[in-house]
Amino acid sequence: MVSVINTVDTSHEDMIHDAQMDYYGTRLATCSSDRSVKIFDVRNGGQILIADLRGHEGPVWQVAWAHPMYGNILASCSYDRKVIIWREENGTWEKSHEHAGHDSSVNSVCWAPHDYGLILACGSSDGAISLLTYTGEGQWEVKKINNAHTIGCNAVSWAPAVVPGSLIDHPSGQKPNYIKRFASGGCDNLIKLEEEDGQWKEEQKLEAHSDWVRDVAWAPSIGLPTSTIASCSQDGRVFIWTCDDASSNTWSPKLLHKFNDVVWHVSWSITANILAVSGGDNKVTLWKESVDGQWVCISDVNKGQGSVSASVTEGQQNEQ
Amino acid sequence: MKLKEVDRTAMQAWSPAQNHPIYLATGTSAQQLDATFSTNASLEIFELDLSDPSLDMKSCATFSSSHRYHKLIWGPYKMDSKGDVSGVLIAGGENGNIILYDPSKIIAGDKEVVIAQNDKHTGPVRALDVNIFQTNLVASGANESEIYIWDLNNFATPMTPGAKTQPPEDISCIAWNRQVQHILASASPSGRATVWDLRKNEPIIKVSDHSNRMHCSGLAWHPDVATQMVLASEDDRLPVIQMWDLRFASSPLRVLENHARGILAIAWSMADPELLLSCGKDAKILCSNPNTGEVLYELPTNTQWCFDIQWCPRNPAVLSAASFDGRISVYSIMGGSTDGLRQKQVDKLSSSFGNLDPFGTGQPLPPLQIPQQTAQHSIVLPLKKPPKWIRRPVGASFSFGGKLVTFENVRMPSHQGAEQQQQQHHVFISQVVTEKEFLSRSDQLQQAVQSQGFINYCQKKIDASQTEFEKNVWSFLKVNFEDDSRGKYLELLGYRKEDLGKKHIKEEKEESEFLPSSGGTFNISVSGDIDGLITQALLTGNFESAVDLCLHDNRMADAIILAIAGGQELLARTQKKYFAKSQSKITRLITAVVMKNWKEIVESCDLKNWREALAAVLTYAKPDEFSALCDLLGTRLENEGDSLLQTQACLCYICAGNVEKLVACWTKAQDGSHPLSLQDLIEKVVILRKAVQLTQAMDTSTVGVLLAAKMSQYANLLAAQGSIAAALAFLPDNTNQPNIMQLRDRLCRAQGEPVAGHESPKIPYEKQQLPKGRPGPVAGHHQMPRVQTQQYYPHGENPPPPGFIMHGNVNPNAAGQLPTSPGHMHTQVPPYPQPQRPQNGWNDPPALNRVPKKKKMPENFMPPVPITSPIMNPLGDPQSQMLQQQPSAPVPLSSQSSFPQPHLPGGQPFHGVQQPLGQTGMPPSFSKPNIEGAPGAPIGNTFQHVQSLPTKKITKKPIPDEHLILKTTFEDLIQRCLSSATDPQTKRKLDDASKRLEFLYDKLREQTLSPTITSGLHNIARSIETRNYSEGLTMHTHIVSTSNFSETSAFMPVLKVVLTQANKLGV
Repeated sequence: MVSVINTVDTSHEDMIHDAQMDYYGTRLATCSSDRSVKIFDVRNGGQILIADLRGHEGPVWQVAWAHPMYGNILASCSYDRKVIIWREENGTWEKSHEHAGHDSSVNSVCWAPHDYGLILACGSSDGAISLLTYTGEGQWEVKKINNAHTIGCNAVSWAPAVVPGSLIDHPSGQKPNYIKRFASGGCDNLIKLEEEDGQWKEEQKLEAHSDWVRDVAWAPSIGLPTSTIASCSQDGRVFIWTCDDASSNTWSPKLLHKFNDVVWHVSWSITANILAVSGGDNKVTLWKESVDGQWVCISDVNKGQGSVSASVTEGQQNEQ
Repeated sequence: MKLKEVDRTAMQAWSPAQNHPIYLATGTSAQQLDATFSTNASLEIFELDLSDPSLDMKSCATFSSSHRYHKLIWGPYKMDSKGDVSGVLIAGGENGNIILYDPSKIIAGDKEVVIAQNDKHTGPVRALDVNIFQTNLVASGANESEIYIWDLNNFATPMTPGAKTQPPEDISCIAWNRQVQHILASASPSGRATVWDLRKNEPIIKVSDHSNRMHCSGLAWHPDVATQMVLASEDDRLPVIQMWDLRFASSPLRVLENHARGILAIAWSMADPELLLSCGKDAKILCSNPNTGEVLYELPTNTQWCFDIQWCPRNPAVLSAASFDGRISVYSIMGGSTDGLRQKQVDKLSSSFGNLDPFGTGQPLPPLQIPQQTAQHSIVLPLKKPPKWIRRPVGASFSFGGKLVTFENVRMPSHQGAEQQQQQHHVFISQVVTEKEFLSRSDQLQQAVQSQGFINYCQKKIDASQTEFEKNVWSFLKVNFEDDSRGKYLELLGYRKEDLGKKHIKEEKEESEFLPSSGGTFNISVSGDIDGLITQALLTGNFESAVDLCLHDNRMADAIILAIAGGQELLARTQKKYFAKSQSKITRLITAVVMKNWKEIVESCDLKNWREALAAVLTYAKPDEFSALCDLLGTRLENEGDSLLQTQACLCYICAGNVEKLVACWTKAQDGSHPLSLQDLIEKVVILRKAVQLTQAMDTSTVGVLLAAKMSQYANLLAAQGSIAAALAFLPDNTNQPNIMQLRDRLCRAQGEPVAGHESPKIPYEKQQLPKGRPGPVAGHHQMPRVQTQQYYPHGENPPPPGFIMHGNVNPNAAGQLPTSPGHMHTQVPPYPQPQRPQNGWNDPPALNRVPKKKKMPENFMPPVPITSPIMNPLGDPQSQMLQQQPSAPVPLSSQSSFPQPHLPGGQPFHGVQQPLGQTGMPPSFSKPNIEGAPGAPIGNTFQHVQSLPTKKITKKPIPDEHLILKTTFEDLIQRCLSSATDPQTKRKLDDASKRLEFLYDKLREQTLSPTITSGLHNIARSIETRNYSEGLTMHTHIVSTSNFSETSAFMPVLKVVLTQANKLGV
């Protein structure tokens, strides 16, 4: 079942472009073409406007919450070519940093796994991806990957910090040697995997889409050795990319579905077993992988409501 | 921003939107005369490869043509979605000809690329358009007001839209309506535009202003609004774009006056109706919003005029412009930096030789500028307003707790702007539940646990079991909650005590009937034969010789009987000799039974007989070795058995109560990734833990690594289905694993409980119990308040009056529960105010005052220490008895707290009260709370610390002297760590470790640890002395890997934490 537990009237004056809950699922951040970013307290079905953040001079495309261990921090990106990092201090939200390093619309922001520190990846229509790293005392260091995607990067998504296959924690005091990686998708129809090895470099190019890649989402790690990325495109296709063997680093795509309209957004559930797909026909669908490896639509969500078909679950049960 | 360029003076056509990859076709312009005055013409196809950062366009094919072109379009006719190149290229030639080319053949390098050709028109064909609804329909326009409609399926005979307009004029533009398929518009340089209705076969409206200066160079329908179109004028005196609405055809709706000189071409974006491109003789390329007139973008072009401009149908941000300086440029309107693009060398050369009048038209070219510098401004700004195609209208994102956040913006036609304002912008937060069965089973499990209805629960599970094994497992689990569990285990293994007993009794009866009467006399012979010798030995009381003689004569029964009479020692020896001699099949079993050597059975039995081995253990093993033996058997099954036996190991682990191994074994056998199979495991584990807690009165609060991982995986699944409270209930408590602590924090907050300090691993109390003025981040540790109570006496200061401290904000729960009279505190006050755990927090350690219901193993239970001070403590004093029977120790704490310092006898060690916990390195032990002012308090007893052990023991033996060094070493180490540790988390960890090591000290006191472990511990202690912690860790690993898990699990992990910290801190 998909049932509405809270309908938030955002009072935005124009299109909403993104809505994201914080780490705990108690606060909602929204952004809109009306150039504002709003934060609501949505605990217990309520909706209390905590902040109405003004500072962008164009439509705001995306918002991203940082991990709460760094405090209450929200990043937003806009058509005005800026990224703004907002921070709550003593109960008030204020602009903490403004990054104006792009020459065109900044379309996507994504915080790195908290294990790496406070790092924000920003993808822009100028084709570049910039990485902001907090170095303390209000300072941010900027690294830029130029020409990552010709005529524009539409989405960035970090790989989880967990070294695949390690279900059990490392002994305390010993820091595992993470490799920072993220995926990006752009107007060159490509998904690129960038990796930091001293400096950022393109590690892989994933080609399957025949039109702009609108969104990429790296699935959260659930302790399995497989890495998974979902991508969606203007061409209506959604692909699930998997890499079973980290050493060989070969990714194979599987077509989840071809929709009749552009697919704008893909989002994994926290347990990485359900994918929410949002399409240009204003349709939201939920997908799940069945035991035989096929992706099955389990729900059509309309205005936050929908039923869940039990076929997948039952199928699995019968298997057992 | 410029993306690509091609040096051609050519007409251009993008491949249709369906086509991937994107191609650009160019056909030599009929107006072109290049520097060589060549009359050659060609049709070329280029691929737009945006992943290639260079400015060059990849040429795919060139076809030498005999024609030059006035117009080139690429229609999607007969296009299948799969083909790489398809559709049809339609070209308008110089001599009234229309030629159809097959682009796939051109790319393939085919010679025959022309599909069809028709030269019905008079004069050059300047206007062509494909109907977007019926792609086989093409409209064309030429001189003499000629307009034809071509059906590509029947190309030979074109139709006309109606009678020719008069006077005859050139048709410069033609365009199909974007909304209504039978509407066509044409325009001519004279300035008139005509709208045709093909169903009526006549012009329905003529559009023209009265200036007579509109020289139409461009015509385009509104992509969305059927009645609107724009006309562009190339007249320098009226360089405007007029927007017309056919409903008000008397005058233009809007006039865009953004160009300084005549407009040569326009293009309306199909992807965003607010974007209209125009290029003019002012050498500008503008992008304006025809609905408002606002200029959104000026392309940073060269200084040349462009005569043709096209949007790329597939990539809405891309456009191409053909300029008179012999170049087609591809631009993006999204701006960006050109830093990474390398400039083409030819660029500079060709501009140096600029053509002054390449067309011979006599038209003046704009003055040639100085050759372009490559140091052009590298940053190009994007459109002023975001194009429609980057405005995401819909989104659905998951968040913690199985919540889905969705929003959708209902599409509103752009001209209804006023209504759009009314639109409400809602965001929906939904709960997604996909695993109904999983949730309901989890719910049942929780109910069973809360109601303690374990037997029922297990029975239901047995009834519902689909496999024999499953049934067995549940039967075994159920037995744990019943009386005489061992007997029931035996029954389950197929051994019924009563049955055997009956059988036995029956046999006995039968035997007795055959017993010889004992009434007769017998003869004592002392002859020299063996009988005589035995007789002699017996008569002299020499049992040993008698037994030897019997053995020698193989009279086993006699030997044993005699040995019994001869005493224990002799019996034992005789048994040994007997076994040495005897060879029967069951000898080893008998040996084991008699010698009580169960380990032997378990270790060496044939694994096929594991049931029998388990039965034997169940029957005979002593409580303290029972678990270990079951464990051992389980381990053997797991390691040596085949796959079937491996699963049976689970049963052994259930008997052993070894949760961790059960988890490991089960996980190996099952696929644990699916929620329901995880549910299968968790059900068993939870029930087993409950069983262990009840039957063995063990503290099950410590959780092994594997179990913790599974439990947190389970909690994650529950949380993902929105069952936050259930997830919290199942999440293991008392663990240091960071991921679990983080999950707990996340769950608590998700429930809407504010928690002070993010990193705090434990949530102190439920919200409703939190006073408003709650203390700061320290509250994050649920054990802190109690510790603080002891710290509350400022050293050397007058303590507050009795009872007062409890009312402070240190422990808010205590307020109101405590009587104010100190005299009664130790008798009436509940042991210690318990922080109220959430009701469903049954996974927590057992409450302090809970006496385990059934104690099957009194051996584990320490009898109360005799009262050593009868004078102070009269035996019959009910108070003292009550105190001693209190299952938990806290009473002295609260009574202590209420005793002001002056009452204490001088010299009594009372560090627990006076020193903050952090400096004692171990919990204040109240080693001698000799409270003379407190009648009824036992004297000389060692009270264990309140929070470290929620157990039932009252007193403790001293740690044997030889092991005292362990305690001092470990405590000293923790002290050192504490003093050099800086962050509060580490300190908390160390504090916690210090408390948990009490488990070890207890085991030392009871001397229950095996010698290998204690010697190992001494080794660790020695390595600590030498500050060689890594060696200590190695030994630690060795102990853990070689010892029995249940024996060491309570303290070894903590010891590891301490060692690791010490190593890290370098103390």
